[in-house]
Amino acid sequence: MSPRPGFVLEVDRSTPPTLFWHGEGWRLERLPVGSRVVYPPEPHPALADPDAAIRHALEHPAGDSAPLSSLLHAGAKVTIAFDDVSLPLPPMRGPDVRQRVVEAVLDAAAAAGVDDVVLIAALALHRRMTDDELRHALGSRVFDAFAPHGLLLQHDAEDPDGVVHLGCTDQGEDVEISRRAAESDLLVYVNINLVAMDGGHKSVATGLASYKSIRHHHNVRTMQQSRSFMDRHHSELHSSNWRMGRLIAKAGVKIFQIETTLNLDTFPSQFSFLQKREWEWSLRDRATFHATSTALERTPAAMKRQIFQSIRSPHALTSVHAGEVEAVHDLTLADVHRQQLVHVDGQADVLTMGLPYICPYNVNSIMNPILVACLGLGYFFNLYQGKPLVREGGVCIMSHPTPWAFNPVHHPSYIDFFEQVLAETVDPLEIEAKYEESFATDPWYVHLYRTSNAYHGVHPFYMWYWCAHALQHLGQVIVVGGDRAAVRRLGFKPASSLADALEMAEDVVGRDPTITHLHNPPLFLADVT
Amino acid sequence: MREILVERSLPRFAAARAAAALAGAAGGVAVAPLRLADREERPLPGPDWQHVTPLLSGICGSDLSTVDGASSRYFEAIVSFPFVLGHEIVGVVDDGPLAGARVVVEPVLGCLARGIAPPCAACAAGRKGACERIGFGHLAPGLQTGYCADTGGGWSDGLVAHLSQLHRVPDELADDAAVMVEPTACAIHAAFVGAVQPGERVVVLGSGTLGLTTLAALRHHAHPGALVAVAKHPVQREMAGALGADQVVRPDELERAVRRLTTSLALARGRSTSRLTGGVDVVFDCVGSSSSLASSLAVVRPGGRVVLVGMPGTVHVDLAPLWQREVALLGAYAYGAEQTPDGVRSTFDLAFELVAAANLERLVSARYPLERYQEAVRHAGSAGRRGAVKVVFDIGRSSTPRWRGQPQSATTPTVTHESPTPTHESPTHEKLETNA
Amino acid sequence: MSTDSNAPVTRGGPSPLTRLTRAVLGALAAPSWPGTVERPLPQRHVGTDYDTSWSRTPAARLARAVITDNLTRPFVRLVADPTVIGAEHLAPLRGPVIFAANHSSHLDTAIVLSALPPRYRHRCVVAAASDYFFDRRWKADLWSLTLGTIPMERARVNRRSVDLAAELLGRGWSVVIFPEGGRTADGWGQEFRGWTAYLAKRCGVPVVPIHLHGVRPIFPKGGTRLRPGDVEVRFGAPLRPLGAPELGSRSELVDESDDEAGGRTQAGGRRQAEDPGAPGPGSGRRREEDARRFGARVEQSVAALADEAETDWWSARRRAARGETPALRGPDAAPWRRAWSLPESRRASGARRRRPPSAPW
Repeated sequence: MSPRPGFVLEVDRSTPPTLFWHGEGWRLERLPVGSRVVYPPEPHPALADPDAAIRHALEHPAGDSAPLSSLLHAGAKVTIAFDDVSLPLPPMRGPDVRQRVVEAVLDAAAAAGVDDVVLIAALALHRRMTDDELRHALGSRVFDAFAPHGLLLQHDAEDPDGVVHLGCTDQGEDVEISRRAAESDLLVYVNINLVAMDGGHKSVATGLASYKSIRHHHNVRTMQQSRSFMDRHHSELHSSNWRMGRLIAKAGVKIFQIETTLNLDTFPSQFSFLQKREWEWSLRDRATFHATSTALERTPAAMKRQIFQSIRSPHALTSVHAGEVEAVHDLTLADVHRQQLVHVDGQADVLTMGLPYICPYNVNSIMNPILVACLGLGYFFNLYQGKPLVREGGVCIMSHPTPWAFNPVHHPSYIDFFEQVLAETVDPLEIEAKYEESFATDPWYVHLYRTSNAYHGVHPFYMWYWCAHALQHLGQVIVVGGDRAAVRRLGFKPASSLADALEMAEDVVGRDPTITHLHNPPLFLADVT
Repeated sequence: MREILVERSLPRFAAARAAAALAGAAGGVAVAPLRLADREERPLPGPDWQHVTPLLSGICGSDLSTVDGASSRYFEAIVSFPFVLGHEIVGVVDDGPLAGARVVVEPVLGCLARGIAPPCAACAAGRKGACERIGFGHLAPGLQTGYCADTGGGWSDGLVAHLSQLHRVPDELADDAAVMVEPTACAIHAAFVGAVQPGERVVVLGSGTLGLTTLAALRHHAHPGALVAVAKHPVQREMAGALGADQVVRPDELERAVRRLTTSLALARGRSTSRLTGGVDVVFDCVGSSSSLASSLAVVRPGGRVVLVGMPGTVHVDLAPLWQREVALLGAYAYGAEQTPDGVRSTFDLAFELVAAANLERLVSARYPLERYQEAVRHAGSAGRRGAVKVVFDIGRSSTPRWRGQPQSATTPTVTHESPTPTHESPTHEKLETNA
Repeated sequence: MSTDSNAPVTRGGPSPLTRLTRAVLGALAAPSWPGTVERPLPQRHVGTDYDTSWSRTPAARLARAVITDNLTRPFVRLVADPTVIGAEHLAPLRGPVIFAANHSSHLDTAIVLSALPPRYRHRCVVAAASDYFFDRRWKADLWSLTLGTIPMERARVNRRSVDLAAELLGRGWSVVIFPEGGRTADGWGQEFRGWTAYLAKRCGVPVVPIHLHGVRPIFPKGGTRLRPGDVEVRFGAPLRPLGAPELGSRSELVDESDDEAGGRTQAGGRRQAEDPGAPGPGSGRRREEDARRFGARVEQSVAALADEAETDWWSARRRAARGETPALRGPDAAPWRRAWSLPESRRASGARRRRPPSAPW
């Protein structure tokens, strides 16, 4: 049966309650009659033989590029960079896409007799990956061949000798990337394009860059002018990265980009009800839903997190393209749109969404309040092309328990950001002006970023800037079922139930507002006209 | 004359200690050897002594320690049973050259009060708190009024005081402000002991009366580069901000806040911040418990100083950080004379000025009559949680005036909370008695 | 000042309880040595100085035989399920032999001992690294008893160890040696060290090459868990240095009285046709092949057995004939390419169950 496209449901009295994510758990909520629910397209079928497809892509590149085998020769200095643990979400079942691609590339390198090969996890300013996470992403064969010899590196943006300044773009943006990558004969990038924001020149220009470079596009002004950052033709974030990427190419760095797309079959069969339309739930789905909801209510938070973080997704490969960056990316975006695009007519007064337990920045970790805000107002709000799903001055209602809890190993700078910076002000521009510099250069955060598994000191700021467009656009943000003190600290309003939240929203948008609900999983991209 | 008397009874002190361990601060008040007694008026111990009738008398942390049986045994030689608690006293002098004047009593009993001539070097220099003849002279041992069998104390209808202990209260200063003078003097003295240099970074641990007055004293008499107050409860946090703290943090946020403030590194032990390599220059510990001392040592920089302002008992503290980081631990007790830029001035004079300048009378949150002493003590023990700072006994209003030498009959006074104006008397209040 | 103002004031000193404790313990404690009397230095009996002769007494040998047959062999069968190939090469041998095997796991010794026929199993010693197995007294005792180890220094040829090994060979004890000197770190073999060839030449005993296939995945170097798998033990043809005296001439002199199987040597026993080292009858004594070249031949022989294990006997034989047997040491390339081309049977999965850095769940 071919997968059905996404569509917009108009809620009537016969519509069953809608599933809302609520962190590590879910709720069924009744949306008022007349609300619209955007349902994503169903997962497309995967490629029958992914390994063959990958090998084919490597030898039949797109754009102005020679096949991989002819780019490799004995004595060449080759670097293979790959996307870090923030993709895909949730982490996929073995073998990971990156494992397949990297093994194919290394087979070619071994056949050509290349000795000098180094693997780099393109972290940008994210946290270093643990050995288990690297082993999961690359597979045991690659890990055991490279890690013991120190050839499996993680990008260190704060190593003064490890980055090299390639120049400035015509807008004065510094371009500074990993020295090893810049000085290689061939830089192969292995990317996973989960959403339209990923890939293209952003892979190298951000993934292997330093703070000095990244701050030119990770700032409030750029994010406010990215409408949205899922739409690269209307995104200042991408324009900046494209300028940087072209400068990198002109500086002589030879990049062989390999991009992959997934079919977003996000949850294993036990949780299939999450991806199904509520009126199509079978008896088994309904039983599983009720059993898990009841069990989860009685489970302590720590155990719930462990259960959910251990879920492995059945994501499958739907396309793979390799070759020159821009040509590859255009093909990839077409595949992403084919899988994810849903047409939505018009904006609403109120946008509702349930937030899951995972975002790119809390894999195997705790979702702290700042990440809740980023997931809702940063990612989900921006899953649009054209116009936002909610009108200017409208209200966004998010459902998440928003615990006042932080992982001190992964997110140390987030704790200080939440306790001290947000206590004073929630305005992104004020925060940027007053605090970003001191957090970015604090030697303790730099030390933890370089040696432990901590996000860079400036990273919570980026999470907040990700919300800048939404904060500018919306009239109010309400969080249903969240910890009151934490929600207040974020500058949002806490509500105990969806009905109360809608009542509160009416104070801002007027009586009987129009409502659009984002039904996820899986992810989608709304084309709003 | 009614007074709240503390008698020697080791079993009851032990029981009070146990009760406090279970019920929290001031939990021992029900079983402690404390009672509201009716006694004969005290004789004057010598010339230059006056009778004083208290108007207001404050409840201090050291009083609560005594009630809970938690005071160190160190004090045994310098208190004499039975004694009357209460050393923060504003009252009216009954007789002598200052008769009728409103005064604040400086409770420390130095050489002058004890009739020791010539006075020791410290008393001669005005530093009575450092008196070297403490416990001698013609008075029973007692380091302060409020711990001495011969003098009485503030929690009573009347006590005796030496002329050298009395400080006139200016007319424009209300009773509430006057009762804050003694605690403020302790805070000012602590601030001078800390010797904060301009630009130094300071943390004040504890936001009860002592912590808040220390904050005010530091703001007025020093120029710290950054002043961080640690406060748990909302009323305390508000007051700390109002009294001049640059940053107010919760106890569990302190280490992180200090790390950010000083951009120091931390030695991790499996958690992200557990031992700072840097820290602030001076820490004022206005709590005096094992955990507050441990916190102080955790956030002070190598070569810094920790000033112990709150009275400690026997605490268990790991002194390895103190040794390895060459930290100075200074005690700050009572008051005397301070070396200011304007010369040597008595701490009490400075306290009068600070109380007026910083409006410290707003720290008086609740008043109780002597009869409700158990509630009063309990309130003082949980002051932070209940949104109060200083709890005082309102003796002038709750007791009926009476002639000297006449026994009393019980009255039913009222309790007032945070009201600056007196409430109306209850209708059952008895009339003035004469010659009963 | 004492806290109790009524206590008598004395000169102080320890409390009565302390005095009593000291008196009791003092009676039993060793006295101190006077300063003027010379005291000999304590003897260290570990490492290569450890005396293993006690482990070859009848009582110890009996205990070891019981342990080997009832503990070690069943355990090896459970964990490694070894298949023994080429045991027929051992059948005609009489007298002591040096067994040279490749080394990839701590289990190798147990597997080799399990695979040997009883007449060798209970009359052999194992050369073990003195710095690893003999560094502590209890370890030295344990391994000497259970496996019959003798200390051997890894890096250089230690006089004492070699003399001991030679003496034991002279007395009819076989020796199991891992010529690489230690377990392989990356799966490829390491250079074969010199004692095997030296000992074989000095004592005139044959060397039987052994290849152990499939042991590394079970318990590699640095491993924390046992992963049971299948193992093949291949015995190769016995080797003698070219130009050495005939088989049987030296071993006749060995006292076979305590040989369990009770076999007696035949004077001028049957010679193996496969042994290229033995000179033809009636040929004069040629100059013996030197130790280094003999050692290389031993390594080559083990490599041929490895090739046989990976592919099949015939292809291995043909490659050996052409001189194309893949080297035990692997390709001469960058470390990642060596690891990339490692055969499956030598790969250690290496995945360790480790908790992530302290996450306060």
